[in-house]
Amino acid sequence: MSASTTATGPGGATGPTGDVGPSPAAARPRRSRRGAAEARAGLLLALPFVLLFAVFTAWPVLQSMFMSFTDMRISDIRTPFAVDFVGLENYRAAFADPVFRRAAMNTGVFVLLGVPLTIIAGLAAAVALNHGVGRLRSVFRIGFYSPVITSIVAVAVVWRFLLQPETGLVNTVLSWVGIDGPHWLGDQRTALLSLVVMAVWRNFGTSMIIFLAGLQAVDPGLHEAAALDGAGRWRRFVSITLPSIRPTMLFVLVTTSIGYLQFFEEPFVMTSGGPLNATVSASMYTYNQFGFGNYGVAGAMAYLTFLVIGIVTLVQFRLMREK
Amino acid sequence: MLERRSPVLTYIVLTVFLLLVITPFVWMILGSLKTQGELLQVPPTWLPDAPTLDNFRRLFDRPFGRFFTNSALVAVAVTAGNLLLSSMFGYALAHLRFPFKKLLFVLVLGCLMIPGLVTFIPQYVLVVNLGLADTLPALILPFLVQPFSVFLMRQFFLGLPRELLEAGRIDGVGEIAIFFRIYLPLAGPAFATLGILTFLGSWNNFLWPLVVSSSESTYTLPVALALISTGQNETDYGLLLAGATLIVLPILVVFLFFQRHFIQGIASTGIK
Amino acid sequence: MSPTARPTRRTVTGLGAAAALGLLAACGRPDDDTGGEAAASAEPIGEGAATGSLTVWAMGAEGEKLPELLKGFQEQNPDVTVEVTPVPWDSAHDKFTSAIAAGTAPDVAQVGSTWMAEFVGLDALEPTPEEIATDDYFAGALESVTVDETVYGVPWYVETRVVFYRTDLAEQAGITEPPTDWEGLVELAQAYQSQADATWGISLQPGGTGSWQTVMPLIWSGGGNVVDEAGEAFTFESAQNEEALSYYQSYFTDGIANPAPADGTTEQDFVSGAVPMFISGPWMMSAVEAVGGEGFADKYGVFTMPTKETSSSFLGGANLGVFQGTENRDAAWKLVQYLSTPEVQVQWFAQSTDLPSLQQGWEDDAVASNEKFEVFREQLDTALAPPVVATWEQVAASFDAQIEEVCKNDLAPADALAATQSEAQGIGTGA
Repeated sequence: MSASTTATGPGGATGPTGDVGPSPAAARPRRSRRGAAEARAGLLLALPFVLLFAVFTAWPVLQSMFMSFTDMRISDIRTPFAVDFVGLENYRAAFADPVFRRAAMNTGVFVLLGVPLTIIAGLAAAVALNHGVGRLRSVFRIGFYSPVITSIVAVAVVWRFLLQPETGLVNTVLSWVGIDGPHWLGDQRTALLSLVVMAVWRNFGTSMIIFLAGLQAVDPGLHEAAALDGAGRWRRFVSITLPSIRPTMLFVLVTTSIGYLQFFEEPFVMTSGGPLNATVSASMYTYNQFGFGNYGVAGAMAYLTFLVIGIVTLVQFRLMREK
Repeated sequence: MLERRSPVLTYIVLTVFLLLVITPFVWMILGSLKTQGELLQVPPTWLPDAPTLDNFRRLFDRPFGRFFTNSALVAVAVTAGNLLLSSMFGYALAHLRFPFKKLLFVLVLGCLMIPGLVTFIPQYVLVVNLGLADTLPALILPFLVQPFSVFLMRQFFLGLPRELLEAGRIDGVGEIAIFFRIYLPLAGPAFATLGILTFLGSWNNFLWPLVVSSSESTYTLPVALALISTGQNETDYGLLLAGATLIVLPILVVFLFFQRHFIQGIASTGIK
Repeated sequence: MSPTARPTRRTVTGLGAAAALGLLAACGRPDDDTGGEAAASAEPIGEGAATGSLTVWAMGAEGEKLPELLKGFQEQNPDVTVEVTPVPWDSAHDKFTSAIAAGTAPDVAQVGSTWMAEFVGLDALEPTPEEIATDDYFAGALESVTVDETVYGVPWYVETRVVFYRTDLAEQAGITEPPTDWEGLVELAQAYQSQADATWGISLQPGGTGSWQTVMPLIWSGGGNVVDEAGEAFTFESAQNEEALSYYQSYFTDGIANPAPADGTTEQDFVSGAVPMFISGPWMMSAVEAVGGEGFADKYGVFTMPTKETSSSFLGGANLGVFQGTENRDAAWKLVQYLSTPEVQVQWFAQSTDLPSLQQGWEDDAVASNEKFEVFREQLDTALAPPVVATWEQVAASFDAQIEEVCKNDLAPADALAATQSEAQGIGTGA
């Protein structure tokens, strides 16, 4: 038996009612007591999580949502209710802000390029480690994961060196084949792309280990059967492996997209949003607004980002035919 | 098992990639042995000209044992809490029917999509009002449950067959017991992954511990490191890299631990 | 904006602080526990030694070394317990604003010089009592703690920016005396390029975060300013400002400064001679000497910012503030008072190399003996703090973006200033 490929909600329960001793599975479903026991168990299992979540996450979220509809500034933090309600004014102002629009566009490009690349790299690494490498697997695993845990300071120094226009490694190598490399981080046309590459390098390790976990659940029996039938490696990958890890794929897709839609560290550390706003991200701009104390406006920008993330996630769920 | 075509080629390709990928990490470790003057050189040097342990010595001028304990306690608590509570809820979301199920999932997932910045101050004010300011529980409780965790566990449990559930019911096992005795033991791979990710997130968390602590006794490692290495106008890179190197070591240990103990072979998943 | 019923005390004095200074100096006595006449806006400090407990926040290196410095205070006031919490500079501002929001601010804290106006606007800081004399502070430093003609806290230590230059390469280029005016600086930079093999004559930031700290001094030096005397309105558009910005732009258009510099190479370029001049503060001395190695200290010098009408520079550093809501007000101010005496400031310099904010502190040999510090001393007389306006960070960011357009896209300075002016007006002064 293989893992279910498409996940739908839990189906109805068939079988005996109640928790009494075994009896043959009945054809007709008897839901009432089963359903009640199930519901009880479900709520019980959910309770600790939901409780903590409600107090420490949901409530602050509601407060901040309220904040985004007011003209709250940092001077109001002691008296958060003595602010003016301004409705959608902050949201309108965010749309009207050319820098925010630029930031939104940069974020969009970043996501469209970065997410697929990261997923492909992570999946490739996971598959390679799972099937192609026997010993030394741990070494490779840690090695490929190391960018995720390396201090951003070290990352910044090394990448700045790589991308330096005159003495940088990339341009030096390019010059060997006669190409005059651009000023990667200083040229408006290449800065964002450089950050995409850096981000993919930094994050593919996380996708990799998640895929590794998902791949563990794939039944090798299926592969053996298909191989016996003459299916090649690629064919098997596409027809067996990929469908088997669909829930994992959805997870990686959604969480990577969410992460990249909020990308902050790369432009913050490497370019401060420059040159000339070529790399400013929505998150970074929102962070700046918080820094300036414009809490109402910053809140609106954050929730606009949230809306976009929500829509993107919804689309992804639909695409993968999940509920 | 699956046939492997030219394993040597695979190894070579992987090794080349590995070397490329691992460079900044190695540079970080080498950098912790260099002087400030050398670290400011451009292009950056690789091996230290005059290796020195001075950075590490200066690190231990401060009570690092305290900071380490704080970080460790918090990270372990957060990780353990997440693994347990998220697997419970994730399982329920994947295989059980109960009221408000869809609503709860949407709400929780929704909060995953909200940029953390925006809830920061309300969360801090809440913690202060609960009387938890400057305590370790304040560093733990808000992170004990995370949307990311429950989402991951839900997806993972969805990937496990329902037949186990049916079989359990036929055998008369209680719903909760089905979870603890049948599904939970199968969660190894997911635990490995979630464990590492949660631990990493907690271990490297900087801004929250910074704001919540108002005395040095509750500082965690990232806060302490920023304290000694970032100045108003300049940064002590040697100290920073030495600290970063030390801070990364427990993560490596946890990574190895989880990968070794939780990734089981296919044969032992118990799926018939 | 929000119609809360708080009285606004947030208009700003620019150079008018000097006048206010005179008034303040007339009342109160320095270092006297018995307190003088009651201040209009601050109660006097109580008599006798300090008691109770105090929480103090200090950042970075200051946070580490402060307990040592406070031993003297402890001896004078044996009944008080002082707890110093060191706070990292990284994200310190966030920590403060969160604490203010939640009511968990300390009694006394080191406050970044650009945060004062903002914190005063949050009603977070107490005004300085009369007993603490403020006449000996550098004018610019005192300005940075003065909001709406009231002094909040005191300046603790200062820093300012001067021009670093390679003396050996300058000699090679035939220049033996540092330049004193705008034209002279350009000449020296060009001489470096033509006769000393320098790639660029001077390292200047072509816009982007913090570039205003280099441009504003030029504006000030030309007699311009970006806020009016009362600090109530922005005045970006003016002939002097335009002249200063054009002068800055000329470095890039004339090929003297790099319009696309790589990050983090200043020290290296200075030592190698590729870019033998830059403008920065005292901390860069140890940085370039670390890269340059032994004997490098003899190969470079510093000189004050070039003069147009005056020689002006950016004044930074940090201040000490007492937070409203402190439960031990007397002890808090006594602590501040202690740290504000010249002797203790000199002692602090010995420990931390932070430059004293009191002019008297500079008379001590320990400070006065360093030749290069002499230049900083001279610059401090005319250094100015950025406008003490609650919204300055945001306005400055806007200005930075316009400066970037000027340096990289050849935007006309007049247009850039006009754009900044309209954005600044939109942002307001936070009053």
